[in-house]
Amino acid sequence: MQRFAFFPGCLIPARYPAMEYAIRQTLPRLDIELVDLEGASCCPDPIYFKSKDKVAWLAVAARNLTLAEEQGLDVVTNCSGCTATLSETYHLLQDEELRERVNKRLARIGRRYEGTSRVRHIVTLVRDVAGYDMVRQSVVRPLEGLKMAIHYGCHLLKPSKVMEVDDPNNPSVMENLVEALGASPVRHKNWYLCCGKACQDEDLPAEMMRDLLTTVRDEQADILCLICPTCFSQFDVGQHRVARKYDEDFHTPPVYFFSLLAFCQGVDYDMLGFERHRFKPERLKDFAEIKEQVGGTPAD
Amino acid sequence: MNDATNDRPEPIVKVDFRFRRELARKVEGNLANYCYQCGACVGDCAATLYSDRFNPREIMLKVLYGLEEELLTEDSVLWLCTNCYACHERCPQQVKPVEVIISMKNMLADRGIYPPPVAGIIETFEQTGRTVKLGPAIDKQRAKYGLPPMEPVPMDEIAALLTADDADEEVG
Repeated sequence: MQRFAFFPGCLIPARYPAMEYAIRQTLPRLDIELVDLEGASCCPDPIYFKSKDKVAWLAVAARNLTLAEEQGLDVVTNCSGCTATLSETYHLLQDEELRERVNKRLARIGRRYEGTSRVRHIVTLVRDVAGYDMVRQSVVRPLEGLKMAIHYGCHLLKPSKVMEVDDPNNPSVMENLVEALGASPVRHKNWYLCCGKACQDEDLPAEMMRDLLTTVRDEQADILCLICPTCFSQFDVGQHRVARKYDEDFHTPPVYFFSLLAFCQGVDYDMLGFERHRFKPERLKDFAEIKEQVGGTPAD
Repeated sequence: MNDATNDRPEPIVKVDFRFRRELARKVEGNLANYCYQCGACVGDCAATLYSDRFNPREIMLKVLYGLEEELLTEDSVLWLCTNCYACHERCPQQVKPVEVIISMKNMLADRGIYPPPVAGIIETFEQTGRTVKLGPAIDKQRAKYGLPPMEPVPMDEIAALLTADDADEEVG
């Protein structure tokens, strides 16, 4: 089992704990061990606090990285925003002058950032450490016939030199993971659009989300698969708002990838927090009995 | 003739170097200097697609001129940026327009200007070390999944990191 320092961030543990549960259920089945970091703070977020003071933002992010350095482990993040902050910090602090500036602040609390722990987004772990085959083999409820639209979100892919996850112009990691669950991925026309969360405007994100959800609906996708909790909140609560604003029904339940993976590995539908979603992925219930029917044997 | 030469028209635009120096002191704030106005950032810009007000190439041009009064306003156009990082990805000059924009948001913050929802999230972070407020309800939810209660963040450490650099370091 490979060990990684787990950096859950704020949104997943403090707003969507069912997603954290799903991650903790799924990764050990993929031979990945998570080591909790004591004393971690918000990454800090790459939108709001970064906009106040980039140097303080770097210092707090570097402090979080020192917690992993103390353990001698690479960091794994489950939120694209946390990955953005921590990866960017890792890259920016390769500049010696800036690193010294940040280390002067860290010296106030007796810490020093060395740059020895790399930052990995959780999907790269599943892809590169476990591999798609292991994911496929862990599935006891293959979602055959289910059409899944994918929203990559922005920070998972861009800037590609910092995030180091996939080709931002033609990514494949999520399609491959969705296929490993037995579902059929569909790439809708507006897959490249942003969820709009960071934009401080009423109409702009709403119009953008309307266009995005319209193309998802055009593909008749059963589920919108997401990998970022911020995007998730936009497509859950936000979809509800947008649907009312434009008097349209997109009926596309957004689901975090690891909730889907957990379900496919046999975790109870009722333990995935769907009761709190505005749009519930009821279609998944069609697959809930499969485990019992096939006696838990993996699909051929 | 002499009269005419003495009566030169005012230059159309004066570059405000004071603004540009202040911006250059921010982390990656000086990158706009490399912008040659090709507009590669515009094609993929989600905010440009949905707003007539927002255009990263124009914003970089205004930075080059130092047009503070158009950039650092109460209702600043900078906050229309969706932070999607497409401009960062596309820029052939590695200007990272989104980072230049964030540096200017740092300048707005120095002037005490934030959109109210942004100010609220920053305050939560500075008080608790997290951007999401905690409470008994969330711990109860976590308990359902066998997860321990949320641990408080060591705020003494965070607070020590938030104060400005020592005098010899911080210029801005």
